[in-house]
Amino acid sequence: MKPAILNLIFPRSTLALAALVVAAGRPAQAAVSRGLNQLLDSVVCIDVREVNFEEGSRRFEASIGSGVVLSDDGLILTNAHVASPRAVEINVTLANLEHVGAKLVGWDHWTDLALLRLDMDDVRRRGLRFSHAEFGDSNKLFPGETVYAVGTPYGLKRTVTRGIISNTSRYFEDDRGVDGFETGAFNTWLQTDAAINPGNSGGPLVTEDGRVVGITSRAYLGANNLGFAIPANVAKTTIAGLVHEGSITRSYIGIVPSPLQDLEKFYALALDTGMLIASVDPGSPAARAGLQGGDILLAVNHRPVDARFPEQLPAIQNFIAGQPVGSTVVLTLKDGPKERDVPVVTERLESSMGEETVFEAWGLSVRRVSRAYARENQLADDTGVLVIGIRPGYPAEEAGLAAGDIITRINRQPVTSLEGIRKVEEAYAGKPEPTLVEAQRDRRVALYILKP
Amino acid sequence: MIFARFHRGLRAALLAAAVVSRLAAAADLPTLWAERVKCAVAVEYTVETENDRRSMFDYGTVVDDKGTIVLPAGSIEASLPPGQLKDFKIFLPGDPTVWKAEYLGQDAFTGWHFVRAEEKVRSRLVPVTSFAAHGPSPVPRIGEELWGVGFRTKDEDFLPYLLKSELSIIQSLPDRTGTALQEVSGPGLPVFNRDGILVGLALESGEQQFQEYSQMNRGGETILLVDVEESSIFQLADEVLPYFNRIPSNVDGRPLAWLGADGLEPMDRDVANFLQLGAQSGAVVSEVLDGSPAAKAGMQGHDIIIAVDGRPLPRFRPDRVVSEFLEKEISRHRPGDLMRLTVLRGAAHVEVTARLEDAPRLIREARRQYFDGMGLTVREFVYGDAVQRRLKSSETSGVIVHFVKSSSPAAVAGLQPDDWIKEIDGVPITSYDAAVDRLKAASQDPLRTECVLLVSHGGDTAVLRVKLNPEPAAVPK
Repeated sequence: MKPAILNLIFPRSTLALAALVVAAGRPAQAAVSRGLNQLLDSVVCIDVREVNFEEGSRRFEASIGSGVVLSDDGLILTNAHVASPRAVEINVTLANLEHVGAKLVGWDHWTDLALLRLDMDDVRRRGLRFSHAEFGDSNKLFPGETVYAVGTPYGLKRTVTRGIISNTSRYFEDDRGVDGFETGAFNTWLQTDAAINPGNSGGPLVTEDGRVVGITSRAYLGANNLGFAIPANVAKTTIAGLVHEGSITRSYIGIVPSPLQDLEKFYALALDTGMLIASVDPGSPAARAGLQGGDILLAVNHRPVDARFPEQLPAIQNFIAGQPVGSTVVLTLKDGPKERDVPVVTERLESSMGEETVFEAWGLSVRRVSRAYARENQLADDTGVLVIGIRPGYPAEEAGLAAGDIITRINRQPVTSLEGIRKVEEAYAGKPEPTLVEAQRDRRVALYILKP
Repeated sequence: MIFARFHRGLRAALLAAAVVSRLAAAADLPTLWAERVKCAVAVEYTVETENDRRSMFDYGTVVDDKGTIVLPAGSIEASLPPGQLKDFKIFLPGDPTVWKAEYLGQDAFTGWHFVRAEEKVRSRLVPVTSFAAHGPSPVPRIGEELWGVGFRTKDEDFLPYLLKSELSIIQSLPDRTGTALQEVSGPGLPVFNRDGILVGLALESGEQQFQEYSQMNRGGETILLVDVEESSIFQLADEVLPYFNRIPSNVDGRPLAWLGADGLEPMDRDVANFLQLGAQSGAVVSEVLDGSPAAKAGMQGHDIIIAVDGRPLPRFRPDRVVSEFLEKEISRHRPGDLMRLTVLRGAAHVEVTARLEDAPRLIREARRQYFDGMGLTVREFVYGDAVQRRLKSSETSGVIVHFVKSSSPAAVAGLQPDDWIKEIDGVPITSYDAAVDRLKAASQDPLRTECVLLVSHGGDTAVLRVKLNPEPAAVPK
């Protein structure tokens, strides 16, 4: 349904060295605005070292991206795929090329945004200076409007490229788009032809007066200048939530929406009315309320919905997501020639990516089975951990476990938390005793022994 | 009376003489060959699908004097409905004459397909049982010379040729199975010792892969190039001789004993030791199917079966054979039989007694109908479809897409085999008949331009529109 057509635009580990091309000098066309100058002093380079738990061991990876300082107290906005909760070290290079450490303040993969805070003690101690950016109104952008992308592609500090707004509301959704996390369900994107290269991610897209209208995030691989940015107005809302809580709480009801284009006649609907529910997640609030794939949604909380085109879906999704968790949302469905209201109590939205860790004594990397993952994979419940990697020659591999297995019990006790497994692993590391593991592969349940 | 007694005695004497002469001639392989090649035949049949007819060839062994021929388990694709298997024929080795045959069905226990040759040719066939030992069949010893029959292809009139090798190993898989150093007979054809006594029936060479798998960790995969025309592994004679009379009474092979304990997973030595099973083995029940005899008997998913009818599960080498052993134990029974299973649930031993039932309708038995205008075959939703989609068997409705003709209106609309059609033209489908009626009506109505289907594909639902009666395209004049 949602092919991963867009690639993140910063390199995962090593940086390719870009060839340096010296262009012949030419006269400046117009003086750069004061606003743009101030903006340039607020763009930073972000070096991140993060841990990952692949292949049964703890590994560190370095990556690089861009960011923009938002305030005098050192808040920096960047992409969720640049700095994630897995980061163990974040180093910021200010516009004046000074290095300062930073910490992650908040993270939201759905909008691909992350918020960092500079180590302000260090900044003050060293008397470092930086500027901060101002937001513009991304709703006022028009196709053809000139914009600049500012960032540190391939680590090249403070690189400005120029282009236009190619499209103001591009629909793009990807279930695995931000390091395996979902993205794009709740917002559309700005499309630009300003050159965006690996390392640009997290940098601002600005108008000629230097106001931030987007955060550049992704581009088509192999295409010429099809770049995507998160609109500033989406970012403003996300930032407000991240500053307060470190994450964005959204509501979930479990419907998968679909546009209605060309189906209005079949459903006997007026044009620009309603949204098709393509499917309903098993066990979700919507499923429990009796909703089914093929239902037509006419209104949410008596506010009519219109999803004739895919670009209209994120706003509807976002409206539902914005309702308080645990509140009742009234869905109006088409029921033959009539309508019927179905109350649905929302749940907290979860990613299908659960927390990851590694049990090094066993050479076993796992990811917690989230409720969303369990639903997607039709598991009976969210008990267990998914094996994501195995270290060759270690007990997990010797026992026969493999990536994709879901460990449901250890020593006959149901697996309910990573901490529970950690205790067994620590006991094992202290005194290795054969440990019985029950795991499910596809639909088959098998037993394994971890032993030295 | 005296005459009769004398006659019987004479016959016995003649039979004895025949056996003696056979044994006496043991050294003469050409003579043994000439007699024994008559129990091997080539079988041709046609698989007829919506848009395709394919000829298939297999080898079979004659097992009685009524022209009954046994084909190996995998010779005919299990998912094919018997209605699509047509025009069975047999060929005698090296003879282009076509003889008619009838398909009798597959036996659940042995997996064999049974075919019966037409009356006229039966006198020219020799049952393999004539070459069986009186009493227990000889078990070949490692290094012993064995031989069998191979066939050239149809354009060479299935000319028979000699295959000869030596026994390398015998294993219990769970049937006693011999492996020779090289190919020793055509798959499905008999294996003899140097005295011309039947010592086994060659398995399909695909079974060799099984052995390769067993050398590796569970789930390990290997690529092995095998000769599908010849085989080096065979079931020992006493594993096959008692079952030549298991001729199915119908082509569906019914009844099929069914327990409903799905995904029987073996355990390795380490696990068995941990569970203190000693020298025996066990198998984990992955899933107990809804409404099955196992469910009714109170069996639960994750139970570990450790004994059947009071007999502990033996340990096999490799361990994974225990799954097949259990499957065979079940298929050995008949619906209505009681099966007592001892399971380990947590640390407790629990006795579960299940009354086996006839298995729910299989996919290959599902009713089906092809709609030419759409290029679409739908079939009945059967129990296995509910299992696959993790539904309660009571929740089933709709029909399953069985076949989509390429470039047909159904294909253009995006239908794919295994899609689940839940609504047709906005009407929920509650039965197979209702679906067929609606599709028939839609495809026969000259005024209809489209048929709208609500289809579930994987977990996603989609509304697909099958175009009907397309307008004739404008042609440049």
